Amino acid sequence: MVTALKQTLIDPSIYLPTYGVVRNVRPMTGMEKLFDIALPEGMSLGHKPGQFVEVSLFGVGEAPISICSSPSRSNGGFQLCVRRAGDLTGLLHTLTPGSPIGIRGPFGTGFPIERFRGKDMLFAPGGLGLAPLRSLINQVLDERSDFGRVIILYGARSPAELLFTDELAAWKARGDVEVHLTVDRGDENWKGNVGVITTLFPKVEVHPRNTVAVTVGPPVMYRFVLMELLGKGLPDGSIWLSLERRMKCGVGKCGHCQINHLYACQSGPSFSYAQIKHLGEAL
Amino acid sequence: MNPMIIPKAALDDWVRLLRSSYRVVAPRPLHGQHVFGEVGSASEFDLGYPTSVLPPKKYLFPAREDLLKFRTDAQQVEATIDGPRTVVLGVHTCDMHAMQLLDRVMATGYSDQHYLAHRNKTTLVSVECLKPCTAGSFCKSMGTLSTPEVFDLHLTDLGDAYAAEVGSDRGAALLPGLKAARPFADKDTARLNRVMSEKWPRFPLRLEFDVTELPSLLSTSYDSELWKELGERCLACAMCTNVCPTCYCFNVMDEVDLTLKSGKRLREWDSCQLDKFATVAGGHNFRTARAARQRHRFFRKGKYQTDAFGLLGCVGCGRCAEACLVHITPVDTFNELYRRQHQPAAATPQGG
Amino acid sequence: MSAKPKIAFYEFTSCEGCQLTVVDSLQLYPELLEAVDIVRFREAMSEMGDDYAIAFIEGSCSRPSDEAPIKAIREKAALVVALGACAHLGGINTIRNRHDLGEVRRFVYGDKAEWYDTYPARPISAVIKVDAAIPGCPIDRHEFVRTVKRLLQGRAPELPDHPLCVECKLKENVCLYLRGTTCLGPIVRAGCDAICPTYGDSCEGCRGLVPNPNIEHLKEVLTEHGLSVDQTLAKMTQFLTYQVMEMEAAGHGDPQPAH
Ligand SMILES: Cc1cc2nc3c(=O)[nH]c(=O)nc-3n(C[C@H](O)[C@H](O)[C@H](O)COP(=O)(O)OP(=O)(O)OC[C@H]3O[C@@H](n4cnc5c(N)ncnc54)[C@H](O)[C@@H]3O)c2cc1C
Ligand code: SF4
Ligand code: SF4
Ligand code: SF4
Ligand code: SF4
Ligand code: SF4
Ligand code: FES
Repeated sequence: MVTALKQTLIDPSIYLPTYGVVRNVRPMTGMEKLFDIALPEGMSLGHKPGQFVEVSLFGVGEAPISICSSPSRSNGGFQLCVRRAGDLTGLLHTLTPGSPIGIRGPFGTGFPIERFRGKDMLFAPGGLGLAPLRSLINQVLDERSDFGRVIILYGARSPAELLFTDELAAWKARGDVEVHLTVDRGDENWKGNVGVITTLFPKVEVHPRNTVAVTVGPPVMYRFVLMELLGKGLPDGSIWLSLERRMKCGVGKCGHCQINHLYACQSGPSFSYAQIKHLGEAL
Repeated sequence: MNPMIIPKAALDDWVRLLRSSYRVVAPRPLHGQHVFGEVGSASEFDLGYPTSVLPPKKYLFPAREDLLKFRTDAQQVEATIDGPRTVVLGVHTCDMHAMQLLDRVMATGYSDQHYLAHRNKTTLVSVECLKPCTAGSFCKSMGTLSTPEVFDLHLTDLGDAYAAEVGSDRGAALLPGLKAARPFADKDTARLNRVMSEKWPRFPLRLEFDVTELPSLLSTSYDSELWKELGERCLACAMCTNVCPTCYCFNVMDEVDLTLKSGKRLREWDSCQLDKFATVAGGHNFRTARAARQRHRFFRKGKYQTDAFGLLGCVGCGRCAEACLVHITPVDTFNELYRRQHQPAAATPQGG
Repeated sequence: MSAKPKIAFYEFTSCEGCQLTVVDSLQLYPELLEAVDIVRFREAMSEMGDDYAIAFIEGSCSRPSDEAPIKAIREKAALVVALGACAHLGGINTIRNRHDLGEVRRFVYGDKAEWYDTYPARPISAVIKVDAAIPGCPIDRHEFVRTVKRLLQGRAPELPDHPLCVECKLKENVCLYLRGTTCLGPIVRAGCDAICPTYGDSCEGCRGLVPNPNIEHLKEVLTEHGLSVDQTLAKMTQFLTYQVMEMEAAGHGDPQPAH
């Protein structure tokens, strides 16, 4: 029988991580690495796209990291794409295959993919936002016939900072995914679009009533992307985003992640725009 | 179980008796204030104390508490769930209400086993307040001047003795062995009734509206200018939240020993009033302004907790009002919001 | 970082009290000596090594001729740590920065004033890049050990960024303002375990300001509690001169937006 990792939180402590092991580490850009992690024999993560885990390095601390692999491709483990941003993430980057790593979770609600079936999907990740969205995108692609059009508008600061370039190319090559890329600043080899992510929106036409848009990126990006999406006539409830907050516990206790009355770690981090647009602290 | 009478003269015997099975803690005088600490005899504490610097919450949710211990050179980690069996003597009714809220918070969704373990090992002996404790308190307005059901044993000062009402088996277990304790007689009931009826008029109602209106008052005060005014004064010192019996925000950190081979993960009280509370890597702060932090604090106290847990997030203990060096108090803040909504013209510019 | 990094201690304008606290830490935590290799330490050894990875610098830079040796340390050390209030913030040596330096010199050295070169005292970070600081006058033993541990872990040491009142309340001290005196706790960086208030003394701010201090309103609190303008200023200049003057130069006493 397979135990869901979440079960381990019930006893003895919600703060007790389980040891996983790093199976593989793949550098992606100068700042991001992709970690492939296995849980102990007989245990599964059982996550939904959009959920996150708390990653522990004992002696250093914990950090919330989105699960970037799709549940439909679990392969006995899961993947995290981690940017070197500080203390813990800096040390994570020094890990090699075989290193133990503490995992708690999965936490959060995740995206309600069942509500997206039958719809056209517009994904608009910015920068590292592609990591959590990759989980959802791959699940959608694995159940491709359940969805209408699939459009990906992805922006990064520079060509060197584009994540998952091999997968982006593969998605494009499938023929049933529309992929548009942009970078804020090009380089000598870049032939594609230059400009912030919103410059991609005029390139696509969508049917507002039948489209779900999912956008994940840094806080500054949301206001502009939302303007574009609302400008295309998408209803508030069809626009989904993921709100990053400081998180310490992941289980709705420590208070750090609160957005007004909502705990991002419990009710989020994925929210529909309809859920949060009235909250003064959301955007 | 019928109420009992514990003569004050027997308090010392009682403490000594309890100490054979429990750690006994009670309010001890210190520099003109009171601090809950371990006691060995009745002369060390004062059950008629006004208020304590920190609430007795600290026995259920310590300011600093180990969560895990681990080794870094082996895959070895375990939860630290531990603590002595404790009797807390002299918990005021406002603090009892606060613990009732914490009980609910810590058992909702994921249960916090660390809190619950302390809770299960702790016997709460509450004590009836007979006069207002401090100028900052407003328990009567908040409906917290009577103990909620969660008490184990409840004491009322009758002059030379305490009336002791038993609220649970855990409370009942404190009495056998105390020879001086005796069951209530008719005259005791009369005495208790008199004490109780004399007590209420001593407490002022300090809120200018009914507390049930508080959540809705706040909903319509989100954009009030008052938050900016409070934000300008606030020192962001977090005293108000650190002394609050209903606050439970915390930070988590690791500590290792010098060999770097073993260590522990612990939590420590944190506060939404602090500058970095909502800051993420890269430096973005989701609540930069002190005004926004003050608003968040008062919304948690007066609305969010009520919406989520059905209990008020402020029990009117007045500790924050006594501690705040720039005189930001819940009563003044709530009253000022009310005044501004109901008589906008008469609002004072520096209220709160 | 290698298993046993070599560390060296240097001193500029200071009382060497912080290095004495290091000696104290070594007695409290003898394991320290197994974790690091001390190659230069005037307080505790006579032979001097010259090959080190971590340099702890005590004292402020208070004259132009200090700059070259400070820069030489930076050249050699992989990590430089400012040790104590003088190195971290300029310390009490900066009190004179508010005065005419010629006068200060004549006052201190009398007719020998011309023999000594001097300029406004400054923290080590005003001369070279420092990787970490251990605040305090003197430093806190436990914080010294915490810092060493983090360096051994290969992590950047981190100072608490909340005010002293947090530690003070967590220790359940009775606030000095309620005991009839005053305290700089609300604007001072925590980390000393509120040692002064714990012993009934007012915090004088030796650890420096917390990020975004609300100095303006603390001054009002001090006035309300009976301090004159001069007394308030004196409180703000004992350890905080350099930081406060920097804030003034940047054009704001209170950089935190109130709303
Ligand atoms: C739901 C969620 C999903 C995330 N997914 C990813 C991801 O897929 N990949 C990725 O690279 N990063 C992700 N992050 C951001 C990541 O958690 C931070 O970069 C990380 O916590 C920084 O820790 P640090 O110790 O390296 O940095 P430091 O700056 O040294 O952080 C110090 C402490 O601050 C806190 N902190 C700082 N930033 C954050 C933050 N953003 N969120 C929560 N706590 C923070 C942590 O408690 C941390 O221990 C996510 C954050 C959230 C909230
Ligand atoms: S105690 Fe007063 S000054 Fe300190 S954070 Fe609270 S409201 Fe602000
Ligand atoms: S907000 Fe203030 S008055 Fe209310 S419970 Fe907390 S400390 Fe007591
Ligand atoms: S606030 Fe009321 S209930 Fe609480 S201690 Fe004071 S008088 Fe008692
Ligand atoms: S004594 Fe000083 S540090 Fe302690 S709470 Fe009072 S003001 Fe803050
Ligand atoms: S309490 Fe203040 S003066 Fe005393 S050691 Fe701490 S920071 Fe320095
Ligand atoms: S992360 Fe602790 S409450 Fe959400």
